[in-house]
Amino acid sequence: MLSFARFVLVRAVMAMITLVIVSLVVFSLMELVPGDCAERYLAFKNTQGSGISVADIEAERQRLGLDKPFLQRWGTWIVNAFQGEFGDSCILRVNIAQLLGSKFWLSLGVCLASLALAYLIAIPVGIISAASNNAFLNNSLRLVSYLGLAMPNFLLALLIMLVSTIWFGETLTGLFSKEFRDAPWGWPKFVDLIKHAWLPIFILGWSATAFALQTVRALMSDEIGKLYVTAAAARGVHGRRLLWRYPAKHALGPIINSLGFDLNRIFNELPIVALILTLTEAGALLIEALARSNDQQLAGAIIFLLTASIVTLNFVTDVALAIIDPRVRKSIMR
Amino acid sequence: MSLIDVENLTLQFRTDEGLITAVDNVSFSLNKGEVMGLVGESGSGKSVTAKSLMHLNARNAVYSPESRITLHSDAGPVDVLSLKKPADLQIVRGGAISMIFQEPMASFAPAITIGKQMVEQLQLHSDMSKSQAKALSVEMLDRVGISDAAKRFDQYAFELSGGMRQRAMIAMALSTKPKLLIADEPTTALDVTIQAQVIDLMKDLVDEFHMGIIFITHDLGVVAQTADKVAVMYLGRLVEEGPVREVIRNPKHPYTQGLLAALPKLDDLDAPLTPVPGDIPSPLERPSGCVFHTRCAQIVGDVCRAQLPVADQVDDTHSVACHIYSGGAA
Repeated sequence: MLSFARFVLVRAVMAMITLVIVSLVVFSLMELVPGDCAERYLAFKNTQGSGISVADIEAERQRLGLDKPFLQRWGTWIVNAFQGEFGDSCILRVNIAQLLGSKFWLSLGVCLASLALAYLIAIPVGIISAASNNAFLNNSLRLVSYLGLAMPNFLLALLIMLVSTIWFGETLTGLFSKEFRDAPWGWPKFVDLIKHAWLPIFILGWSATAFALQTVRALMSDEIGKLYVTAAAARGVHGRRLLWRYPAKHALGPIINSLGFDLNRIFNELPIVALILTLTEAGALLIEALARSNDQQLAGAIIFLLTASIVTLNFVTDVALAIIDPRVRKSIMR
Repeated sequence: MSLIDVENLTLQFRTDEGLITAVDNVSFSLNKGEVMGLVGESGSGKSVTAKSLMHLNARNAVYSPESRITLHSDAGPVDVLSLKKPADLQIVRGGAISMIFQEPMASFAPAITIGKQMVEQLQLHSDMSKSQAKALSVEMLDRVGISDAAKRFDQYAFELSGGMRQRAMIAMALSTKPKLLIADEPTTALDVTIQAQVIDLMKDLVDEFHMGIIFITHDLGVVAQTADKVAVMYLGRLVEEGPVREVIRNPKHPYTQGLLAALPKLDDLDAPLTPVPGDIPSPLERPSGCVFHTRCAQIVGDVCRAQLPVADQVDDTHSVACHIYSGGAA
């Protein structure tokens, strides 16, 4: 038990170190964007009609601390980042933590819910379809899977919106109804969120499920063919016990392993769905910051939060894997 | 007294390329306490034959209507191939028949302790309580020569050495006191020194538990050490069968002769090995007539290519299926 606690601690420290390294990469990338925050802001001002001089830029640079050496600025940034403080947006001049507000957590929530939906469906269905030799069942599943993989999310989103607008007169956009948008958090707001969020969750979950289904099925088919399953059958183990206790249990490890990767993929798909459903969420903000306004501070903050979520999820799956698989557990306890 | 009778066993697999014959009209029987070696190259159908005894072949296996396997259990004869329900199959799967496999590592579930798998099996086949099953399992592990058995009970297969895993597999297979043990190349994956230990262990256990063993192997040397009788299979056909000494000293079938000639001789290490020429044909292209004629050096005429030889008795216990010995051929 003690060695397990030590393992968890070591993994947590490693996750932290990963985050620090990631932050260095993110921060360096932010620096690589031509120009800096001071120039960008004043250039923006310039387009608004106010005249600027080189001296103005220098003064702004000093005010923002951009004249300090790279490593020192990174240090300040990372220390603040770990406290959830990302400074001001370059263009909008508002605090990033406030600007992001609950948007990031909403996005993460939608992604995690899609991930959960995907595996809640994929694990039982994938396992049963791998175990069954019913050709009709397997072929229909394959068809649905390929549809899910082949049909782009935005197309599905558009289709659903089209149908709902034409037949039900509802637009189904946004994450909140108007009256709740700026309301404080509470039960009614949460219910309102669920009423809206099911659609992006469903759309993101759709392709994620198709993907997960293929993974689970392949892993499971692989396990079912292994000798230990035949050997268990030869000992008289049969029925559900033979399926769940033997191959299913062993197929679970690689599935858990792939969760972090899946979260990343879903998050990448979120912005385009968000665009169509006009959700104001972090993915859309990231695209805005990266592609349009070149707001390096804002983009860096979102990327950092996203990687932090993935690193955290990987930490959780590592621990979960050690709990279910003795080979992993024993290898770390020596 | 007969323990298991196999009559006219013919088994085909349904595949995309059509029906593939794996076992063709094989008959043999094994008495209580008798050890039979089932010998042949890879693809000769020996493993498939053995799995039929537990009705354990893949779902695409088709048995011919004439095939019959009768197990003489304490509760009377059991028609193995007619068993359908998992509960009925229990008697041939771990009950009266146990099987150990070639790869001891792969035949334990990697993420379940050895003890849990042993207890599970005992509870499936008896009304033992968990603690009784555990006590018996530890005793069995100890019996097969595993030191520190109580500790091994809680370990996983990957924590044991190869020889120890195979011992644990044997302990598990014997814990339900089966009447018949099927050992599918149990020593092939082991070091030679460990092989000898495992073979000795199995011989001791046969005497002690008085059970029948079907020993599947391609190694006639192992058969000579362990078995009472031997059956040689080639491409799903039983080509020669008899008492082990008789068959090894006086092999009749050209294939058996070839297998024996291919063994290295310790008293004459310079003598060249004589392999059986050619490869075993693909099951998709079964030769006509005698299935061995494509590799046989002693073909007696067109009859070998045209006609399937039937088994002839050399004497009371020794039989061979070859045209050399059937009347009309010479």
